Amino acid sequence: MKARGVTLGVAGAVVAAVLGAGWLVQRTALPAPARATLAAVRAATWLQRYRLVDSTFSIGGGPVMHGQCLQDWFQTGGRRNRGAALRLDDGFILLAVQPHTLVSRGGSTAERSLSPLVLMELGGCPRVLARRLDTVAQQHRGVTLANNALTFALKATRVTLTLDPGTGKPLALRVVTRDTEGTSHIRFATVTTRVRQLLSRELPVYGS
Amino acid sequence: MATLEHAGSVPLGPRRAEDSVRRLPVLAWIAGWWLAGRAVIVLTVIAVHRFGPSGWIRHVAHAHALGPLEAWDGRWYRTVADSGYLLVPGRQSDPAFFPLFPALLRAGHALGLGYATAGLVIANVGFLVALVAFYALTHALFGESMARRATAYLAVFPFGYAFSMMYPESIVLALIALATLAALRMRWGWAAGCAAAAALARPEGLFVALPLAVLAWQQRHALSPRARGLALGAVLAPVAAIGSFSLYLGTVLGDPMAWSQAQRAWGRAFSPFGVVHAFEGLGRAFAHDAWVARDVVAVVVYLVLLAAAARAGVTWPWLLSGLVIVVLPLFSGSFDSVGRFGLLAPAAFWGLAALGRDPRAHRLILGLSLPLLAVAIVTLPLHFP
Repeated sequence: MKARGVTLGVAGAVVAAVLGAGWLVQRTALPAPARATLAAVRAATWLQRYRLVDSTFSIGGGPVMHGQCLQDWFQTGGRRNRGAALRLDDGFILLAVQPHTLVSRGGSTAERSLSPLVLMELGGCPRVLARRLDTVAQQHRGVTLANNALTFALKATRVTLTLDPGTGKPLALRVVTRDTEGTSHIRFATVTTRVRQLLSRELPVYGS
Repeated sequence: MATLEHAGSVPLGPRRAEDSVRRLPVLAWIAGWWLAGRAVIVLTVIAVHRFGPSGWIRHVAHAHALGPLEAWDGRWYRTVADSGYLLVPGRQSDPAFFPLFPALLRAGHALGLGYATAGLVIANVGFLVALVAFYALTHALFGESMARRATAYLAVFPFGYAFSMMYPESIVLALIALATLAALRMRWGWAAGCAAAAALARPEGLFVALPLAVLAWQQRHALSPRARGLALGAVLAPVAAIGSFSLYLGTVLGDPMAWSQAQRAWGRAFSPFGVVHAFEGLGRAFAHDAWVARDVVAVVVYLVLLAAAARAGVTWPWLLSGLVIVVLPLFSGSFDSVGRFGLLAPAAFWGLAALGRDPRAHRLILGLSLPLLAVAIVTLPLHFP
């Protein structure tokens, strides 16, 4: 009986030693990922969890606009593809569908002259931001974290994403380009049939 | 003839020194085979670098003569060594790559080597160690002639170019052989350490637990209670090592199962019917990418070799661990990379050595292996190993 106890005790000690030493070796030998990288992945996870984002934004100190961005499947050129539709309260609609569809309808001349990328970013279009965050995170460069705000580049824009300190959830955006600057507050929402119907009715191409 | 198998079992003193001298020719013979195989690989890689094909590997992998050996998973091991683990949900990410090799890369880097240089040095020197340990293990189990044939075949095995890449396979094979060799000599503390390290380098390292378990059972009456505890600990060590990886991922990423999640994004989602899906999807996979044929051939070759090993009297724990290494990946619904995974099944090489007893077969195996090894390297830019 005592012999069996010794055997089990030694075996347990070996297992504990392997667990502890293995953990210690990894902890000592491998670098921990940067906080900014982890925050970027966390923010991207939030963005990918939702397909609808409500936003309130202004560009270049102009009027405050309200928008809704829906990530969905859209029928373009006889095929269903993923894309994003941004709808502003004044009836302006912007549709971007992979690989090459980018169309707008309604709104003012000023709105139509704005960069579609800036509008999509300020509208909080989740996949646009998430994909870029994932990429910069995996490259372990190109993203910084300061005061709960992630800063990264997306094509010709510089995006600063303010995060909830506790959950890492994206709350606000600041987008800077060579010509303009905009700020936005975003709120994740749940896609309902009504929202999809409303958007698909107004879309320049058929919604899914 | 004194062999490496006697190492550690002879008394100290003049006889030991004499045996060391007598071991030198064996070491030189193994080093010769290592050199021959690696020379074929290096020369072919230089030719690939110079004349192509450029294939899918990035331009940077062609940036210097040995660049193709750093390609594919080598890039991921380098990222882990350089920046640590990161799980990006839904994307291929690096927790799928086990930590020992990146930790060694980092150690090499700390000594002043670049990550690429460190990776290639560790993999190739590791393969020399693997050949020595594999020879000693085979000698202990099957005798001199089997050991010589199996070691020579392993050194020039066509899929063995992975042993020279920035991959952990050579280290894992060395650790598997050293763990069981230590167990055979009743050095269970060493066996535990090597088995744990093998599992920290590749999940296949886990299956060394099978032969260790049988050896522990066979030796149970000869061991003291403490030694029995060490033996039991050695059998459990690979599982504990994988547990330590989970523990580490839990602390840095907040997800202990990040490695398993990442495997799914690499298309390795295991299911009981995965093997059925692998065969069902074969036609589709072939139409999409004909390279799957290479891995199907690899599965067949390994199964034939394991059958030959069974006929030659290789014991069931080795056969079973080899079978698991070759067949288990199919349960993820894919044949991908089985040619490389099978390198960690020593029983396959014992099967090949059994087939090589016939002198004509021996000449045929060696005559085919070297050119196939060169051809395999040429395909490296076109498809991952």
